[in-house]
Amino acid sequence: MDVFKADVAIVGAGGAGLRAAIAVAEADPSLAVALVSKVYPMRSHTVAAEGGAAGVTQPHDSLDAHFHDTVAGGDWLCEQDVVDYFVAQAHEELVQLEHWGCPWSRTPDGRANVRAFGGMKIERTWFAADKTGFHMLHTLFQTSIKYPSIRRFDEHFCVDLVVDDGRVRGVVAIDIASGEFRLIQAKAVVIATGGAGRVFRENTNGGIVTGDGMALAYRHGVPLRDMEFMQYHPTCMPGTGLLFTEACRGEGGFLLNKDGYRYLQDYGLGPATPQPRNKAMELGPRDRLSQAYWHEKRKGRTISGPHGEVVHLDLRHLGERKLRERLPQIYELALNYLGVDPAREPIPVLPAVHYTMGGISADIRTAAPLPGLYSVGECSSVGIHGANRLGSNSLTELLVFGKVAGVEAARDAVSTQHGNASALGMLADAARERALAAVAPHDGGDRIATLRREMAQSMEDGCGIYRSGTTMQATCDKLAELKQRYRRVRVDDGSIGWNTERLLALELGYQLDVAQAIAHSALQRKESRGSHQRLDGYEQRDDVNYLQHSLATYQGDDAPRIGYGPVKITHLPPGIRAYGEAGEHYDAVSHAEEGARA
Amino acid sequence: MPDAVKSVELEVLRYRPEQEDAPVWQRYVVPYSHDMSVLQALQHVKDELDGSLSFRWSCRMAICGSCGMMINGKPALSCETFVRDLLPGPLRIEALAHLPIERDLIVSVDGFVKKLEGIKPYLIPKEPRTLAQGEYLQTPEQLERIESFSSCINCMLCYAACPQFGLDPDFIGPGVLALLHRYNDDSRDGGRAQRMPVLNAEEGVWSCTAVGYCSEVCPKHVDPANAVNQNKVNSAKDYFLRFLQPKGATR
Amino acid sequence: MSHGRPTTRGPYVRPMRGWWRRDPFFVRYMVREATALAVLVYAIVLTVGVVRLAQGEAAFNGWLHALRSPVSLALHAVLLVSMIVHAYSWFEIMPKTMPIIVVGGRRLAARTIQRAGWAATVVVTVLVFALALWARG
Repeated sequence: MDVFKADVAIVGAGGAGLRAAIAVAEADPSLAVALVSKVYPMRSHTVAAEGGAAGVTQPHDSLDAHFHDTVAGGDWLCEQDVVDYFVAQAHEELVQLEHWGCPWSRTPDGRANVRAFGGMKIERTWFAADKTGFHMLHTLFQTSIKYPSIRRFDEHFCVDLVVDDGRVRGVVAIDIASGEFRLIQAKAVVIATGGAGRVFRENTNGGIVTGDGMALAYRHGVPLRDMEFMQYHPTCMPGTGLLFTEACRGEGGFLLNKDGYRYLQDYGLGPATPQPRNKAMELGPRDRLSQAYWHEKRKGRTISGPHGEVVHLDLRHLGERKLRERLPQIYELALNYLGVDPAREPIPVLPAVHYTMGGISADIRTAAPLPGLYSVGECSSVGIHGANRLGSNSLTELLVFGKVAGVEAARDAVSTQHGNASALGMLADAARERALAAVAPHDGGDRIATLRREMAQSMEDGCGIYRSGTTMQATCDKLAELKQRYRRVRVDDGSIGWNTERLLALELGYQLDVAQAIAHSALQRKESRGSHQRLDGYEQRDDVNYLQHSLATYQGDDAPRIGYGPVKITHLPPGIRAYGEAGEHYDAVSHAEEGARA
Repeated sequence: MPDAVKSVELEVLRYRPEQEDAPVWQRYVVPYSHDMSVLQALQHVKDELDGSLSFRWSCRMAICGSCGMMINGKPALSCETFVRDLLPGPLRIEALAHLPIERDLIVSVDGFVKKLEGIKPYLIPKEPRTLAQGEYLQTPEQLERIESFSSCINCMLCYAACPQFGLDPDFIGPGVLALLHRYNDDSRDGGRAQRMPVLNAEEGVWSCTAVGYCSEVCPKHVDPANAVNQNKVNSAKDYFLRFLQPKGATR
Repeated sequence: MSHGRPTTRGPYVRPMRGWWRRDPFFVRYMVREATALAVLVYAIVLTVGVVRLAQGEAAFNGWLHALRSPVSLALHAVLLVSMIVHAYSWFEIMPKTMPIIVVGGRRLAARTIQRAGWAATVVVTVLVFALALWARG
């Protein structure tokens, strides 16, 4: 097997992976970086992010306000020291990206513009038209070209980590074009492979978002943290699940039920004002908005469409000119895919799975419990998002923690030696054999798509916006059955080079493992918090028993073992998550109390 | 309105180098629905009929640039090309023109990526600025100048449209030259002189004969034809100014 | 079910032969390029006219007489159509050759530039006709 020796290997070349690679190159240009990605970097799903990246900017804003919004938005399941660090570094990282050429949208006097976003008290979201992720990703990719120490392995599919003597020593990947396996030795490995939204039926994610890196770490004993928290984005296209950015609501869009009524005011987010008001109505947090849709649907107040029950995203009052200027991509999406002109008709939308709050356990340095392993971005649970992520925090996360991961991995690599070459070679060969065995031709087995569809439907049924013990248990049972059937999955394609079907089969294996972690973590959490909401007697938040992170540990073919770990609470004790008018009242009261205490 | 059409025929150009010398056409029939994209039709083939059919795709919303291919003879993104606009069929689907086929609908992208890497596609600031000083100032008007050229998703439809690239694969090509222009025209950038050699070369702007099809097919309205042809003037100026100014004095 | 084996067969390069017939856009492009020949032919005709003018009144009248022959009229009809097609296709591509002009915060549209081109053409044509009529009368 071909062997490449790197100092740091990074798996995944999206926003987080590229930022980490640049950070290693800047920290120490003598370190060899291997950037391994199953797609060319500009195809990574960061590219689809639209709304923006948050960072305290305006003089009347404060780190404390961003901290408060984030922790409350996360329903107090955030690591508060991590959030403190995050909000403090955000602005500088956004400026750094601007220095690298990112075409941020501007105010008339030339400064970076900020806009309102869901769950944020003060406008702090930097944006680049309605294609922020696209511009950030291309800026990072093009900037990474400056550094000769970054060697890319484009279209290389990672099949395993190489772990020897209790430490990660590299990765094994398939060169997709030739079908050959490669061992990439590294003294430190950063996983930046993104989320796992494709395990659900209706989702905003690209085909590549299959939880690969999460599964790789998980299978080596690294716990996956808080996996039950899956974010539903409230405004997505029926059928495909494609995203209509939160910025639509930031610019003043309304959500209407079949009576043309702004129904969010019935769910503690009111009162309804004609102009958008931060943290109220359509600018409430995503979990609350998705939950409101679910209730409206149950009351029969949604509109029936060919792809299910929808509500209306009304942008007509913004006018065509403003729409084409501030939301051009949304305009084209609605027009091309749905034949709907947003300036003249409301857009049918519904919630779809969008973001994976949980992921590989990571401390404030992005280090996993397994020495030599780091994780960053959506695949990682570093502790910012808790039980519900605020929009525009994750793009900033890529920058802030991408840098941390790179710096930490570089520091680690400098003080470490490569593992024993022949031992690693044997481990790599074993990884190759396992990968080939998983997708060996099986006659009479299920097609990949059949298993994937059943998994995705089951996850939607059992682990959707609202959950109950019986539905979640049914999903857990179904996943166990699918894992058994997966052992005999049928693969038509026997070719060696460009065997994309084989890759789909391997991805399905990752997805089933990650789906199990999600479903079992959800079943065990007997409370409702953030985006994990139950209907079976556990409708309330239970800070006594469940102000804890869930930790799912791999048990092979058996169900994962779910344990719990403490949440670090420093200066914001758990309070009530309140939005709309109730929220303003609550904020005023609690600020007065804080003042009195000080 | 109920669809009378129940299914649609696809003719796909296959190429499996491990089995055959040259590409062959293969026919599939897939069930039809009104909002189905060509990508979804291909996914049906791979999922249910023939797992060996290989093609790139990811985002499904025309922003990742993966799914470019020839659909009825025109370069297009399969995720935003709808079967309803191409009825009654059969749909002829082939890998992007002018690029070598590696397998089925998958073309070689390395050449494009190497060219992209060769133009210094990053900001070379005119003036230094520390992070503490905050962002460079750039007015909305200055941003508007580079708006279209910075929207390229690297889908390579323009390369499939450009006959000069088809005739000479060494031509840097519309997409990469548009990106080069994006940086040259960024008000914060001072790297124009460093990028001139690429523009000035025979494979730079001078291989372009203003066919203009690249801008026509671009799904993001980047207008690469404009980027390339504007720079013919710049390249000519640079050539003549060289006689008046010492080497390297071009701004 | 196919079984793969490692191959040295590389990527397949499709031939470019007959490329311009594959798409109406390319055919139109080739027609545009061909109209440059019409411009060349007409330039030669005019050059001959200038030379004849220098050779004296008899020579110049001989040239004018030749212009009125049926062959010449047919040729000029073809050249006129070609020149109009040439102008049209040139204006079509002209916006692409110009740097971006920003007016009032918005980019000047291609259509505006094309209309300006046609407007200039009409004005110049009218001026030339007016000049010819004035010179005659």
